[in-house]
Amino acid sequence: MQIRRFVRNALEGDGCRVAEAETVRQGLIEAGTRKPDLVILDLGLPDGDGVQFVECLRAWSAIPVIVLSARSTEHDKIEVLDAGADDYLTKPFSVGELLARVRALLRRQARAAEGESPVLRFGTVEVDLSRRIVLRQGTPVRLTPIEYRLLAALLANAGKVVTQRHLLREVWGPAFVESSHYLRIYVGRLRQKLENDPAQPRHFLTETGVGYRFVG
Amino acid sequence: MRTEGNSGGSRASGSSLKHYVFAVLACGLTTLVATPLREQLELANTVMLFLLTVALIAARLGKGPAILASFLSVILFDVFFVPPRLSFAVSDGKYLVTFAVMLTVALIIGQLTTGLRRQAQEADRRERQTRALYELAVELAGALSLQQVAQATRHFFRHQLGTEAVLLFPDEGGALIASPADEPQTMIVDLHVARTVHDSGEPAAFGGLGSGNDQPWYFPLRGSTRTRGVLAASGGALGKDYRPLLETASALVATAVERLHFVEVAHVSQMQMVSERLRSSILSALAHDIRTPLTALYGTADSLALTRPPLPEPVRETVEALRDQALRLSGLVSNLLDMARLQAGKVTLRKEWQPLEEVVGASIKLLGPALTDHPVTVSLAADLPLLEFDAVLMERVFCNLLENAAKYSPPGSAIEITAANNGDRVEVSVLDRGKGFPEDKLERVFELFERGTAESTVPGVGLGLAICRAIIDAHGGRIRAANQPGGGGCVTFSLSRGNPPSIPEETSSMEPDQT
Repeated sequence: MQIRRFVRNALEGDGCRVAEAETVRQGLIEAGTRKPDLVILDLGLPDGDGVQFVECLRAWSAIPVIVLSARSTEHDKIEVLDAGADDYLTKPFSVGELLARVRALLRRQARAAEGESPVLRFGTVEVDLSRRIVLRQGTPVRLTPIEYRLLAALLANAGKVVTQRHLLREVWGPAFVESSHYLRIYVGRLRQKLENDPAQPRHFLTETGVGYRFVG
Repeated sequence: MRTEGNSGGSRASGSSLKHYVFAVLACGLTTLVATPLREQLELANTVMLFLLTVALIAARLGKGPAILASFLSVILFDVFFVPPRLSFAVSDGKYLVTFAVMLTVALIIGQLTTGLRRQAQEADRRERQTRALYELAVELAGALSLQQVAQATRHFFRHQLGTEAVLLFPDEGGALIASPADEPQTMIVDLHVARTVHDSGEPAAFGGLGSGNDQPWYFPLRGSTRTRGVLAASGGALGKDYRPLLETASALVATAVERLHFVEVAHVSQMQMVSERLRSSILSALAHDIRTPLTALYGTADSLALTRPPLPEPVRETVEALRDQALRLSGLVSNLLDMARLQAGKVTLRKEWQPLEEVVGASIKLLGPALTDHPVTVSLAADLPLLEFDAVLMERVFCNLLENAAKYSPPGSAIEITAANNGDRVEVSVLDRGKGFPEDKLERVFELFERGTAESTVPGVGLGLAICRAIIDAHGGRIRAANQPGGGGCVTFSLSRGNPPSIPEETSSMEPDQT
């Protein structure tokens, strides 16, 4: 169908090799035989839902998955992200945006393969994960333990969309998965401390209704 | 049951006259029986016979006849048995003692016996009432409609009490109307009294309850949350002994009516759920079918515009126009679907407590290219509390307002977002430096398909602000448009502050490397 065609064209134009599958079943077979570096999944597949695909795929593989979905279906997005998808794009999406997301995930994959450096930089901020030190414009930033845990969780998933539930469970614990206001307040504090304009953040981005995305 | 224990009333007097006649006859019969035996029986035994008669009369016919029989027995004994016979004269003074004792004993026997009899009757009546109430309860428990409740109630009153009863329920407008009856209504109900009873929740009757006249009694059908109707019973003639019974009966009816009400509520909400599910599945199918080709169109045009080597200038412009129009069309479809969903009423809000700042930032980021010509400044008061709203919908509000502001103001002009506390609400404004709204349309711009300037060259169909209002309304807020003194439009909406949850502060602010 048309969406697959232009996605294919765009990816091939960017130097990728592309294989297409029409159904969840076929997609799983293709993914198993071809061992791709990345999967782009349309949530509107004819036979069954994408969540099932991601769950099956995650049973044996960690390859990045980008999901294409319609707007106003936040629930579906959350479900598929919690199942293990890495990112999503809302239809209609621009080719440039798609390619940017693909590159980001592939870069991330490559970095993970060669081992992460303990020092991360974004904007004017420098985070030394091994020594637990955060510098902004060279001066140390004081973070509370929760703020630091949240920062670390976001950095560990840089480039990916992380759902609220995931972050709440990781930073506060399983008992807090419904306490979304905790997360929102602490993300706000991280922005205050690390963003130049906290009201229009460049690194700690909100995926409204879904979760957060850290962009380096 | 209708007459027993009833001291007043017309039916009672006729039958008690008969009782007195019976008492006289019984005494005469005793005399007749005892006279031939006079030789064999001593006078003392004759006295016993008369006392037995009095006791029987008391047991069967009640107190008045028993008293009559007591006196009559003494007189008959005197006349027919005490010598000299057939005269009131008494030969021996000792008989006067006999008379006195006989009269006293007869009266006491009469008194005691009628007392016992009344108690037995009372117990019997109570038992029958209880059984009747039980039967009413069983019948009401099986009732599936208000009509059946009314029927069971009428049946109970008619067959157990011999009176009529009518149930009155408020209709949609709140006016009380009699429940539909399958037979013509014989009772005259004063709707004004019924309304008073319904509103006050206190029973009432003309001249007070238990006054004994023939006017109906009115009992409120008190449910757990509110009064569900009124029971009117022509029970005035029953006397106030019946008040507890009628109150119990009306409580039973009230329970049944309330049960039916909640059954109805459950039924309606289930119906709504089913129709809502159907509607949203149609909407999402529609959304999918329209969006898929649009996505393909937009994506294809976009990838065409990015082809290398670059397309010749006129072709590139065409392709970009194609792409932009596809994007606009898609936005339009989204808005239409949003509006359809909102107008269908029951958009479930996923309300969460959150800072406003976040959704503002996300909206600006989402609009991205549309705002390149308009620097956006955000000035939120520092003391803004957390607000409870649906982030996805609120993002739509900000996107629509920002988009509008950008569309209707000259390129390069600034757009400002402000928010501040105002009493128990937070007021949020989006201000632009455009021409503002037509003064006569400040209210109407929020109506569906209403545009500030109808023949404007700016594209749009007048959905954005209507969606904003629908969303703000759903949040219990208010939205209004105004023009700024210095020129430019301003849309302000307010949200209730409510009671934001508090979060415990971390006890220690440790250096990161100590964690």
